[in-house]
Amino acid sequence: MESFENIIKTHYLYPAALFAESEPHLVDTILGSCVAVCIFDPVKKIGGINHYMLPFWNGTGLASPKYGNIAIQKLVEKMLAMGAQKENLQAKIFGGGEVIETKSNHFKIGERNIEIAEKTLAEMRIKITGKSIGGKQGRKIRFNTETGVVLMKLIQKQNA
Amino acid sequence: MLTDKQFIEELKQRLTQSGECHEMLRKQGEELQLVNKKLSESEALKSHFISNITNEIVNPFSSILGLSKNIIAAKDTDIVKIKSMAELIHSEAFELDFQLRNIFTAARIEAGEVSPDYIKTDINLVISSIIIAYKYKAEQKQLKINFSFEIDKNLTKDHYFRTDPEKLKLIISNLLSNSIKYSNAASRIEVKAWIDHGLLKVMVKDFGIGIDKKNLEIIFDRFQRLDSSINSLNTGHGLGLSVTKSLLELFNGEIEIASKRGVGSIFTITIPEGDESNTDGYALDGNEFIFGNSEDGVF
Repeated sequence: MESFENIIKTHYLYPAALFAESEPHLVDTILGSCVAVCIFDPVKKIGGINHYMLPFWNGTGLASPKYGNIAIQKLVEKMLAMGAQKENLQAKIFGGGEVIETKSNHFKIGERNIEIAEKTLAEMRIKITGKSIGGKQGRKIRFNTETGVVLMKLIQKQNA
Repeated sequence: MLTDKQFIEELKQRLTQSGECHEMLRKQGEELQLVNKKLSESEALKSHFISNITNEIVNPFSSILGLSKNIIAAKDTDIVKIKSMAELIHSEAFELDFQLRNIFTAARIEAGEVSPDYIKTDINLVISSIIIAYKYKAEQKQLKINFSFEIDKNLTKDHYFRTDPEKLKLIISNLLSNSIKYSNAASRIEVKAWIDHGLLKVMVKDFGIGIDKKNLEIIFDRFQRLDSSINSLNTGHGLGLSVTKSLLELFNGEIEIASKRGVGSIFTITIPEGDESNTDGYALDGNEFIFGNSEDGVF
C-alpha cells in the first residue's frame, strides 16, 4: 500500500523521546534493550508512543522520558489532554531484548525495562493487547497512530 | 544383662543386617560404576564435540576472513570475482549462524531457560522463508526442493497457527539441513506441511543415504553422529537432532522417522497448537510481525 504511506506523515522517534499528535502518523523506531510503549484509544483513534532507555528515574537530574516510569506517565497524560479517554486506552509493548550479551546478571536493563512497563500499565489499569518483548534480538517497529496497528521486524544479527 | 540365647539372637540379627547392608553397597557400587561409565562416555563425546566444534567455527571464520581480505584487495573492475567471493562468504556465514543458533539453543535448553512464545503464525511463509534461505545450499548440490502446503478449511483466520515461529524455524531448518547434507547430488527433497485434526504436521523427505535400523534410536542423542566415514566429508556437530527433539518436547510435539539404508529418510513432526497467547499479533515469516488487524504488508 505505497499510496497510503505517501499520504500519511512519518516520524522517526528517537530514544528518550515521546510522540503523540492529533494528526495520523507512522512512527518508526528501533529498539534494543530500550522499550517502546504504544498507547492507543480505539474509539477516538488517537495513538501515542514513547521510547525509554532505563526503568526508573532516580530522583536526581531531570525527570525526562528517558526513564520508563516517567515516559509512560507523561505519554498517558499527553494523550488524555488530546481527548483520549482513560478507559479506552490499550497498550502494546515492544523491545527489552538483551542485545548486548553480558556475563554479569546485575544489569538486565531489558528485563527491568519490560517489568516497569507491565507494572506501570497494570497500576494505570491499561490493558496490554499485544507485545513482543525480551529475547536477544533488536526490533524495528512502525506504529500507525490512526489504526493502532504495529508492524515489527526482528533485526537479525546475521541476515540469513 | 542379656542371656546367652538373647545374645545369639541379637548377633544373628546383626549379621543378617550387615549382610543386607553389604548387598546394598554392592548394588550401589554397581550402579555407580554404570553411571561412571556413562559419564566417561559422555565426557569423551563432549571432548570430541569440542574438537568438532572448533573446526565448525574456526574453518568458516578463516574462510570469511580470507575471502573478505581478497575482496578488499580486489580491483574494482573484477565484479564477477567479487560477487562469487561474497556468495561464498554468505554461505559460510549462513552455516556459522545456523550452527551457533543450535549450540546456544542447546545450552539454553540444558540450563532450563527455554519457554515457548506463542503467536499466531503464518506457517506457509515461515517454511517458504526457510526454503529460500537454503536454496543456495541446495543448488550447490543440484538439489530440488519441492514444497507443498495444504490449507485446512478449519484453520482459523486464513492459515495462521499458534506456535513459536523462531523455534519452529530452528526445528525445520535442522531437518532440512540434514536432508540436504545426506542427499545424493542432483536428487530432490520434498517438504510438505498440513493440518491434521488441529495438529500441524511437517514432513521432510529425502532420497539420500538413509539410516540403518539399529541407528534410529541413537540419532537423537547429543553429539552423536553416524557413519564416521561420512564425518570427513560432512560438517556438523551432532547437536541438530537433539535440539530438534528437545524443542519438540517443549511444544508437546513428536517426531517420527521412516528410513531405509540407501533409499532415503522421511522425518515427520507433529505439533499441537500453542496455548492462547495474550497478544493480538501475527507472525508472518518468523521475522516480521503485525500487531493488530491490518491488511497492509510489512514495511
